[in-house]
Amino acid sequence: MTIAVRLRNVTAAELSKLGTLPTAIVAAAGTVLAAGGIAAALAANPATQRSSAVAVTAQTIPYVQVGLILLGILPVAHEYAGGQLRTTLMAVPDRGLLVAAKTIAVTIAAALTGTVTVAVGRAVAALTRHTAGVRRGEAGVLLDAAGYLVLSALLAHAVALLVRNLTAALVAMLGLVLIVSPLLASVSEGARWLPDRAAAQLYDPTDTVLTAGTGTLVAVAWTTVIAGIATVQFIHRDA
Amino acid sequence: MRFGPLLAAEFRKTATLPAAWAGVAVALLGSAGITVLNAISARAAIAAGHPELRAFTSVFQTGYAAAPLGTVGAIVIGVVAIGSEYTSNNADAGGGRQVTTTLAAIPHRTGLLAAKALTVVLLAVTTAALTIPACVGIAALVIGDATRETVTLDEALTRSLGAALYWTLMGLIAFAVTVVTRSGMFPLIALIANSSLVSVSLLLTRLTPLAFWLPDMAGRRLFGGLSTVEGGLDAGAGAIVMAAWTLALLATAATVFSRRDA
Repeated sequence: MTIAVRLRNVTAAELSKLGTLPTAIVAAAGTVLAAGGIAAALAANPATQRSSAVAVTAQTIPYVQVGLILLGILPVAHEYAGGQLRTTLMAVPDRGLLVAAKTIAVTIAAALTGTVTVAVGRAVAALTRHTAGVRRGEAGVLLDAAGYLVLSALLAHAVALLVRNLTAALVAMLGLVLIVSPLLASVSEGARWLPDRAAAQLYDPTDTVLTAGTGTLVAVAWTTVIAGIATVQFIHRDA
Repeated sequence: MRFGPLLAAEFRKTATLPAAWAGVAVALLGSAGITVLNAISARAAIAAGHPELRAFTSVFQTGYAAAPLGTVGAIVIGVVAIGSEYTSNNADAGGGRQVTTTLAAIPHRTGLLAAKALTVVLLAVTTAALTIPACVGIAALVIGDATRETVTLDEALTRSLGAALYWTLMGLIAFAVTVVTRSGMFPLIALIANSSLVSVSLLLTRLTPLAFWLPDMAGRRLFGGLSTVEGGLDAGAGAIVMAAWTLALLATAATVFSRRDA
């Protein structure tokens, strides 16, 4: 088999594994539901009455990213909860191929969930406000927000691959996006180079140095470095 | 069975969990790191002659500003104290859960849960007793005598005790919720997210004043002197409401734990 065919087959296997993982389904469905609830709450808030439905959707992103982070962590972390990893490696001994396929599977799952999440947030915000009609360029803004969610999931996937434990990866990622980065941002300009701050330029372009494009590059660089170290370890280490 | 040895056993079990130490480290090192950053920028503001650019520049307030972060450490401690019992072993070792062994050794379930809850209290209080003085010490080292202390010793002590109480209650709430869910994942996500700026409770307070009665919003004035949202309960009433939530959740946990199959 050529490498492309093998990659396609292993990716399909990883996707089907993900689809039968109850926690992953609950995480994805929970994220979409949470997006609806939070968009309704934000849209009903008198303080944000002036902002558009798209702006309200952007404000839901810091909340719903938690769900995408969980979705990014699960595919690797569940292999290490118990002995499933050894079965997996028995079936796919090429470890580099396995990591590549898992990463593609996470990207697909996160892209699906992220897009639905953003769309539901936008629809609920409009329904709460009783506004109809779509503005020009709106789809691009929403897709950028979904892109941020995919980047979050991929960073979480890389961290999970590095620490090999669900709780540790979860605490590390939540600590980064919810606590360290807001706190650092209040005391130091350097916080803009953190992966989540940089990628946030996609849905909240307020930074003076980074743009949506360069911010995405910074976030991708972080993810690539972490995933690179983790993959080298994964290939050379006992399972 | 006497309670003393039971408490000693549970304390030892929790204290030897690496994840519990991670919780302590998050509170201690995380707060210390934030204090260093805050203190350096406070010192720079004083040196530049613009102390008014910072919300506060006194040593105690700079050290104390990191206290809300410690809540995350307390949550981790509360979650792993019981969550670890439900984690499955390696399949090679039978895939069992520690809780069955624990219950074989101590069949008295309410007593077991009480010992575990007390362990969480002890660890949270110890972490607070180490972290808050350490942060104030760091702030004193960095800012030193460049500023005048505006907080009296009495007030400092009251605020520190308030923060320790908030940590303890939040640790217990995390513990009680994890008893019911039997998995640490959901409580960790929900409670850490709610302790941050992206808090659903905070969002709800903008819609209805009832949300000020949620446990985390009710207790937040225990972090005295830190700028918080307007409105809501004051420190004393808030502490009582938060404690009442904690007791109710612990009672629910005890009922569920006593009646359910392990």
